[in-house]
Amino acid sequence: MTERTIAIDERLATDAGLHVGDRVVVSAEPGSSTVDTVRIAAIVRGRADPAEVARSEYRVRVHLDQLQQLLAYGDRVDRFAMLTAQGPATDSALRWINSAAFGFRAYRSREIAVETSKTFLVVSRFHRAIGMITIVASATFLLCIMLLKVDERRRDVAAMRLMGISRQTVVQSVMLESSFVALLGSAFGVGLGFVTAALVNAHYQSVYRTPLRFAIITPETVGYSVLLSLLLGIGAGALAARRLARTPSLALFGR
Amino acid sequence: MLGVAVSAAMLLDMVMLATGMRESFASLLGRTGFTIRVSPRGTLPFDSEAMIGQASEAQAAMYRIAGVTAVAPVLGATIHVLGHATPITAFALGVDPAVQGDYQRLEGTEPTAPDALVASDALLAALAARIGDTLDVAVGFDPQLLTYAGRRRLVVTGRARFIYLSATDRAVALQLGALQAMGGVDRSDRVSLFMLRTAPNVDPEVARAAIERALPRVTALSTAGAIAEAEHRLSYFRQLAFILGAVSLVVGFLLVTTIVTVSVNERIGEIAVMRAIGVSRWHVVQQIVIEGIGLSLTGAAGGLVLGIFTARYLNSILRGFPGLPDAIEFFLFQPDAAFRALGLLVVSGIAAGIYPSWRAASLPISSTLREEAVG
Repeated sequence: MTERTIAIDERLATDAGLHVGDRVVVSAEPGSSTVDTVRIAAIVRGRADPAEVARSEYRVRVHLDQLQQLLAYGDRVDRFAMLTAQGPATDSALRWINSAAFGFRAYRSREIAVETSKTFLVVSRFHRAIGMITIVASATFLLCIMLLKVDERRRDVAAMRLMGISRQTVVQSVMLESSFVALLGSAFGVGLGFVTAALVNAHYQSVYRTPLRFAIITPETVGYSVLLSLLLGIGAGALAARRLARTPSLALFGR
Repeated sequence: MLGVAVSAAMLLDMVMLATGMRESFASLLGRTGFTIRVSPRGTLPFDSEAMIGQASEAQAAMYRIAGVTAVAPVLGATIHVLGHATPITAFALGVDPAVQGDYQRLEGTEPTAPDALVASDALLAALAARIGDTLDVAVGFDPQLLTYAGRRRLVVTGRARFIYLSATDRAVALQLGALQAMGGVDRSDRVSLFMLRTAPNVDPEVARAAIERALPRVTALSTAGAIAEAEHRLSYFRQLAFILGAVSLVVGFLLVTTIVTVSVNERIGEIAVMRAIGVSRWHVVQQIVIEGIGLSLTGAAGGLVLGIFTARYLNSILRGFPGLPDAIEFFLFQPDAAFRALGLLVVSGIAAGIYPSWRAASLPISSTLREEAVG
């Protein structure tokens, strides 16, 4: 009889020291009398499936009839996956299966993905909440620093005001400076974000041994972050400048 | 002050996140006194549909191991409660009521008879049933023939809170033998899990190793091992907590440094005058450092209150994980850990104040007086 073959995932191959061509014995349960000696025909890379990340499971691909025999499952399967031509073909296939198949239900892959993604929705909500808290903390810190740094130049501003330079000019100069710093900071932050995302992906791909990308930076993310940092930076500068401009000049000198 | 409070709140939240999962999970596992869990080889409890066969033999073997005082078999299955417009599906646990650790009975009696069960409040509400009602229960739905196997009529004898499930889960517990019989050949003498108690003077790790030697077809996990496995799977949250906590500490330090530095710079003249009239350098530093400590303490106090509120909010988000037991908390307030963290912030506030104050106190008195106090 022709020897059957299986494919194993690279984690199992690494951990068990297995290679293509090795023979292994598979069974449904440890110590079972129903066993099958097979040859490893391929080693496959793990899927970038977030649901599999924390489970640390090994995966083996076996021919359907072989697994049915091993498990004494009979002529049964757990599910079918179907590939259709998109659009109307998918809709008509769904309708036909749900009306004709007895005791089965067909779903779009997207519906299954949504249903099984509830865990990741929770993680997304948590990340957004942490992000909001971090933004509030950063904005508070930024405002404190701006107020203190602008306050350091109170004597310079007092001298300018006494020379006749208007409040508006003082405020504009401070805001121009804070805008420039905010722009530089945004650029630096975007670069830092890319580096950090690369480090996060490298670290967790190594820890969980998966090709899944944990951090993805999209143009929308960059746009949102830059806009937010510019608004916060300019806003903090404006607040600090207004506060300074409203203080009487002599008071700024400490008189 | 607000900036320091926000940093303190963030630090406190991250400390709570780093320790919360571990402590609440350990508390959950240790609640009923079971120190070892035994599941099919290579799996974790209820991680898959695999079962342990020849369960009676396995149970007897475990009782022979020194230090094992109780062995609780558990079989998990899906049941369908019939008699409604659509059958209501629930999770069923087949247990030995005399030595079970999966539920806490709230009302009624234990399911000691083969036709008895206890149910969760969520299931009773869905069925509009109560203690004393009889349910038409089945397992093994055949989708092709639309028929149910293992059908039985079971009486609700009690209400229970299922320790490892959430309050919204629909669940029942009944006699192990009854659930095995309903499952037919597929479930005959099979269980999903054993839970074991060991004697107080016995190291669970020793018993665990002995179980795996005696029964190579199972994986035995002590409470410590289970916690370690859970920590590994949720290591992301601990790492996030560490990173954000470290960032909060650095931000708090920088903020106090900046505030103290600016405050000192504004009072350079005064400091020079104090030095000129004979106040020692050390005394000047002491005063400024005390101001920094005051700033940190006030910020820490505000951060404590703010941190507890934000922790509750974040915890409520993470508790939305599907199927999470009610007893698990991600953010757990532990006074000693919290005060250690805030104490660290205060210490960093002290360190933040030392350099600018020492620098100011070390400036040459005469030139500083000329520039600041006189000029």
